[in-house]
Amino acid sequence: MGRYIVKRVLFIILVFFILSFMIYMIYNMLPIDKAAEAAKTEVQANRKLDYNERLEFWKRRYGTDGTKLERYFRWLGIYPFYDGRYDGLLQGNLGQSTKYGKPVIEVLVEPMKNTIFINIFATILALGITIPLGIFCAVKRGSRRDVAVQVGTIIGYSLPTFIIAIVFIWLFAVVLGWFPVSGMTTAGSLHWSKSKQFWDKMYHLALPLIVMTFCSLGGMTRYVRAAMIEALSMDCIRTARAKGVREKVVIYSHAWRNALLPIITLIIGWFLGIFGGSVMIENIFGLNGIGKVYFDALNGNDNEVILALQMFYVSISLFGNLLIDLVYGLVDPRIRVNK
Amino acid sequence: MEKKNNSTAKKNGVFSTLGNWFRRTFRGGSKEMSDDEKFAIEKIESPSVMATKAFFRRKLAVVALVVLIGMFLFVFIGPYFVPMDLNYTDPLQANMPPINNMKTVPEGLKNQIKDINGFADFTVGVSKDNTFYLWGNVKNNLTGVDYSDYPDAIQPGKVVAAAAGSDHIIAVTTDGEVIGWGSNGNAQYGYLKNPNDPYTEEPEELINGTIDPDHVRQLICGYQVTALVMDDGRMYMWGNNNSMLSLVEFANKEKYNTEVKKVAFSNYYAILLKEDGTVTGGQTLTFNKQTAYSNKDGQIQNLRTYMKDRKVLDIAATNNCYCFVMDDGSMVVFGASEYGEKDIPEATANEKIVGVKAGTRHFVAVSETGNVYAWGHNDGGQCNVDGDKCSLVYTGSKQSYMVDSEDKLVESVGFSGYPLGTDSRGRDILTRIIHGGKMTMTIGAVAVVVSTIIAVIVGCLSGYFGGWVDMLLMRITEIFSSLPFLPFAMMLSYVIRTMPIGENTRIFIIMIILGLLSWTGLARMIRAQVLAEREKEFVIAAKSMGVKENRIAFKHILPNVISIILVNITLDFAGCMLTESSLSYLGFGVQQPQPTWGNMLNGANNSIVIQNFWWQWLFPAIALSVATISINIIGDTLRDVLDPKSSQEK
Repeated sequence: MGRYIVKRVLFIILVFFILSFMIYMIYNMLPIDKAAEAAKTEVQANRKLDYNERLEFWKRRYGTDGTKLERYFRWLGIYPFYDGRYDGLLQGNLGQSTKYGKPVIEVLVEPMKNTIFINIFATILALGITIPLGIFCAVKRGSRRDVAVQVGTIIGYSLPTFIIAIVFIWLFAVVLGWFPVSGMTTAGSLHWSKSKQFWDKMYHLALPLIVMTFCSLGGMTRYVRAAMIEALSMDCIRTARAKGVREKVVIYSHAWRNALLPIITLIIGWFLGIFGGSVMIENIFGLNGIGKVYFDALNGNDNEVILALQMFYVSISLFGNLLIDLVYGLVDPRIRVNK
Repeated sequence: MEKKNNSTAKKNGVFSTLGNWFRRTFRGGSKEMSDDEKFAIEKIESPSVMATKAFFRRKLAVVALVVLIGMFLFVFIGPYFVPMDLNYTDPLQANMPPINNMKTVPEGLKNQIKDINGFADFTVGVSKDNTFYLWGNVKNNLTGVDYSDYPDAIQPGKVVAAAAGSDHIIAVTTDGEVIGWGSNGNAQYGYLKNPNDPYTEEPEELINGTIDPDHVRQLICGYQVTALVMDDGRMYMWGNNNSMLSLVEFANKEKYNTEVKKVAFSNYYAILLKEDGTVTGGQTLTFNKQTAYSNKDGQIQNLRTYMKDRKVLDIAATNNCYCFVMDDGSMVVFGASEYGEKDIPEATANEKIVGVKAGTRHFVAVSETGNVYAWGHNDGGQCNVDGDKCSLVYTGSKQSYMVDSEDKLVESVGFSGYPLGTDSRGRDILTRIIHGGKMTMTIGAVAVVVSTIIAVIVGCLSGYFGGWVDMLLMRITEIFSSLPFLPFAMMLSYVIRTMPIGENTRIFIIMIILGLLSWTGLARMIRAQVLAEREKEFVIAAKSMGVKENRIAFKHILPNVISIILVNITLDFAGCMLTESSLSYLGFGVQQPQPTWGNMLNGANNSIVIQNFWWQWLFPAIALSVATISINIIGDTLRDVLDPKSSQEK
């Protein structure tokens, strides 16, 4: 097991470097030159300065001199600047946001909290509904109710998030007026008490959470159902039934445990997937999360925020893959033996 | 001889191989059989027949298939019947709900037309018995103004003249009152709200006083501007100075506002026809250096010198062009012609034209003998007047109404309405759904083809050869699958946007990106299936016969995987359409004005649009949903019927 973990971790680190290199190179295709801009504004302010000299200065300062590879390593934080300091991703320096005029990390802290909060909440809601529903459909396979759920789930996963969101906004916010259309807080709520602020936030998050849960129903229910059907058709289930084990025990103890493996993958994958998917929800509902920050950065050419968030998305995804591998290795001995 | 045979065999290789795969998958091998064997086998149906029969037994799947084929035809044949002008916008037709009565003259007006007048999406008419009629899009959904909400003074039998502007209506009653209703934010009628605004107020004598209702020569409205001409040549003009650049001088200088015979409004300028037959555009619209076109004299270099000794009978103005009818029956057109307003029909050269009217982008002229000619933009069929005879024409924005000498309607041609409404730039949503569907489906299809090709190659090689090839390819697959899809695609799109490439190239790159990011799942599935197939006896047999490895991988094993590929192509097609729509919805896919089902919904993320302009998001959303749901149902059913496991259990 130890060897397996080491192997996987090393591979993930390798992939991280490959992907970060790839993304950095794509980012480098953008026509931006921070050093030239800084030098230009300086020379415009003070005509006596020599442009080329200032350009050199800023290039060294920003670490944009040297070859592309050197710059990449500097950005990662494993190659020194001209004065020998290491200041990159690994040192926790993600750059400076041009829009907010603050370090990127500071820009991201608050939205990150919101996004994680929303995502955990949505995951719990989604799992709480889809797992029982999936099991039910698998057990009652072919029944009328199962067919109805199947058709419903096809519709559910055929519709893109934004259409569901628009329809829900129209229905619940515009026609019925139950929820606010967008935003995260009521204006002027800063003076309220903490608990009131919390409930205000929950009131604003209700509709996004409903939409996120609804969007997950289709795909996840089908997945759970398929895993459960697979598990129910195993020989051990037949044996258990033949022994006269109660049906409840067969389903929840024997079959469910066997179905758990793919479902764990699903849960982890889904939880990480909604980080990327939150771009959509946060934009539609105007929530202050990283998806919104990412979208605004793309529209406002805030390049270092884009790069930092892109790396975050990649890291999250790689971390998720590692987690899935490790959990698999842990519960399924075949995998670590084979490798 | 033998060599030649070989080369032809090679040429057909690819196609015959593909054909063989399908045949073997669905119909079994092609061994010669004796009659007895045939009879014995006939009772067993081949997999393809079984699968097809099973597919068509499911009603839902058949319905989905029919719907999908219908949509395919709709979006791929539709564009040939409904052409689209990509850069067309028309603010006057913006945000209109589904409507179909824009050229329908009300019954009561049909036989006793006194006047018909329209500037934007609604048209007003006055009958001989002084009754006011209104048709078209009578409610502005953005401002909430309802034009059919008449003031009290507008009663049947009480209106002598009326005119419609872009967002207001002015009418003169039998009592001589001048009454306005509709929007009033820009001094369309009544007193100014703020005296400092750049507006020209309606004259005091019209607001409080009355005029002689029997001597109104002309009442006309334009974009937030109104002109009223009396029989004695006195002209009143008021409205928004910014939207009508000639307004200040025309309203205030006696040189212009007396002895007027007729006024015509374009989008920004007004021209006056004086009683002496001269035409003036004031200081803002000079005829010097204007290049004009006459139907008798051809191109005219300088309109001013041309007009010097000539007299004008009638004038009309579209949004950007002006037309004069000379007293010799010829016509002159000048202005910024975008839609063929300058192409006066040649047949008019032999006729004496007596009158001309203009819509938003078209002119209609009537000759002395009663022939009607129309030219300009024909997007609603407003120029289809060939062979009609009448004595008078009236125009709406995109309509032409022909009226005979007894004031009866002969025919109304032109635009009857938008079946699915218009978007915020006045573009027809139905047209955009057709063209957008073509784009969305094309992008989905190309992306699926790209991803399937990659997946088949990677999956087959990896599964069959195993070892380091498998190791390498699977690691590459892992790298690609760990890319977060939506953010990464958005970033790529952002980078492409900064590059100096054409829109079509950009769309093509987006197709490739979608394909490159979505092949990993299928590749893994193919690999797993190939791994299972590779251990079977027929592969061992092939190996022992000395068949080459490549051949075994692609010719013996791949056909067994084709059912998986088929199912996944279907499901991925829907998936790619959805991702393209999501990207376009966020503004990182295909850009406006090129429509796709995704970017048509782009404007629909605020409550105003969601609430008031439901047709702008509902119809594209329905189109996209129906397409993806049908594709997914078909894919699902295919999986069920092609999967031997599920059919065994039944």
